Amino acid sequence: MDDSFNPVIIALCCNWCSYTGADLAGVSRIQYPHNIRIVRVMCSGMVHPNLVIDAFTSGADGVLMCGCHPGDCHYQEGNYKAEKRAEAIRMMLADFGIEEERFRLEWVSAAEGARFAHVVREFTEQVQKLGASPYRTQ
Amino acid sequence: MAARLAEEWFAICGGCEVTILDIGEPLIDVLKQVEIVHMPVIMDHKLFGQTGENTEMDIPAADVGLVSGGIRSEEHKKLALEMRKKCKTLIALGSCACFGGVPALANQFSTEEMLEKVYRGSKTTEKDGIPHEQIPAMTDRVYALHEVVKVDAYLPGCPTTPEMVANALISLLEGKPLPALATKSVCDECPTKREKKAVSTIKRRFESPEFKPGAPLSEMRCLMEQGFLCLGPATRAGCGGSDGVPRCIRAYMPCEGCFGPMSDKANPMVDMMGALSSIGLDPKQIPDRAATFNRFAGAGRLRPTPRR
Repeated sequence: MDDSFNPVIIALCCNWCSYTGADLAGVSRIQYPHNIRIVRVMCSGMVHPNLVIDAFTSGADGVLMCGCHPGDCHYQEGNYKAEKRAEAIRMMLADFGIEEERFRLEWVSAAEGARFAHVVREFTEQVQKLGASPYRTQ
Repeated sequence: MAARLAEEWFAICGGCEVTILDIGEPLIDVLKQVEIVHMPVIMDHKLFGQTGENTEMDIPAADVGLVSGGIRSEEHKKLALEMRKKCKTLIALGSCACFGGVPALANQFSTEEMLEKVYRGSKTTEKDGIPHEQIPAMTDRVYALHEVVKVDAYLPGCPTTPEMVANALISLLEGKPLPALATKSVCDECPTKREKKAVSTIKRRFESPEFKPGAPLSEMRCLMEQGFLCLGPATRAGCGGSDGVPRCIRAYMPCEGCFGPMSDKANPMVDMMGALSSIGLDPKQIPDRAATFNRFAGAGRLRPTPRR
């Protein structure tokens, strides 16, 4: 594992659970790697595969998609939609020559600040092991 | 004075040239104002003089240049550059010139793999050598015309529509700007009826959709909802022309995407996989997704190129 490699990871967090969860991790002063760039989205169900593929082809080393736990979606079934789309995304990553492990879908609730930090730590380590994305220019 | 027209064809079937003939009556008026100076498909104008006596390639200067077909060999590349030099306005005619078209499906494989399969690997082929004498070298993949030279206008479609070719030629002759391509999708122009977003299983193209023969298209259910892989959502509108109804839908067939994606950056495969998976379809059911959804837009899309 290359400790010096600092991956760029995009996290797409839903407004109602995961972003609030990330916020909780922050206010609770829980430490987690700085590699993550959080983008707040209204629902994980609005994350079109285009956004994820674009992130990768623009040079992101990893993409983390976070939503409410199944059954907890603010919009009833957005996260089920996200799950279906994640399946399609994983299949397409191979077509673009990107390792499947660079993408992850996780459920994080608003109360799970510690879990959010844990997921980020684990995912960052995983992406670090994979090294830089083939689409990265610098 | 008649406008001078040059036409050249590369990796193409010739269908788009037939479309020019298919213009019908307006063609008579157009032809009166046009002098065709170079067009290999209909006239005997050779590139190196009529007996091959010249050493320099000679395409006469022209006001309008039509180019059909994608670029597959070094010869095509040279001809494309020469056409650009000699033509004031260069038009990409048909999907092959615009985005690679069907020949660009070969971009899924390397040229070596493709040649090996075609000349030796296929079961029905007598294993013979790969031809290499007296033919120009192949490029590493199929390129769309705009990837090699600057293109002034695009007339997509497989084949392109007679109406579009006529409109483009008439506008040029009248000195008007070329008609712009539609910015809407095929779905925006499609008259079929959408009921609810639910697809159970994917049907193959050769299965028949449900419709009442003779009834208007607005009574047929959306083909995507019926389970057909219709590329309408990810395809540029305009194939219906002034009639407005997409060509394939008019024949009760799902859209194949021949008008290409709605923008240069769009990838129809990603768009369609997103659309289909969000209406509850199992993406694993889709046969050969890369080629199915990029059937006409393979140049630059079927073989993604990491920058590193």
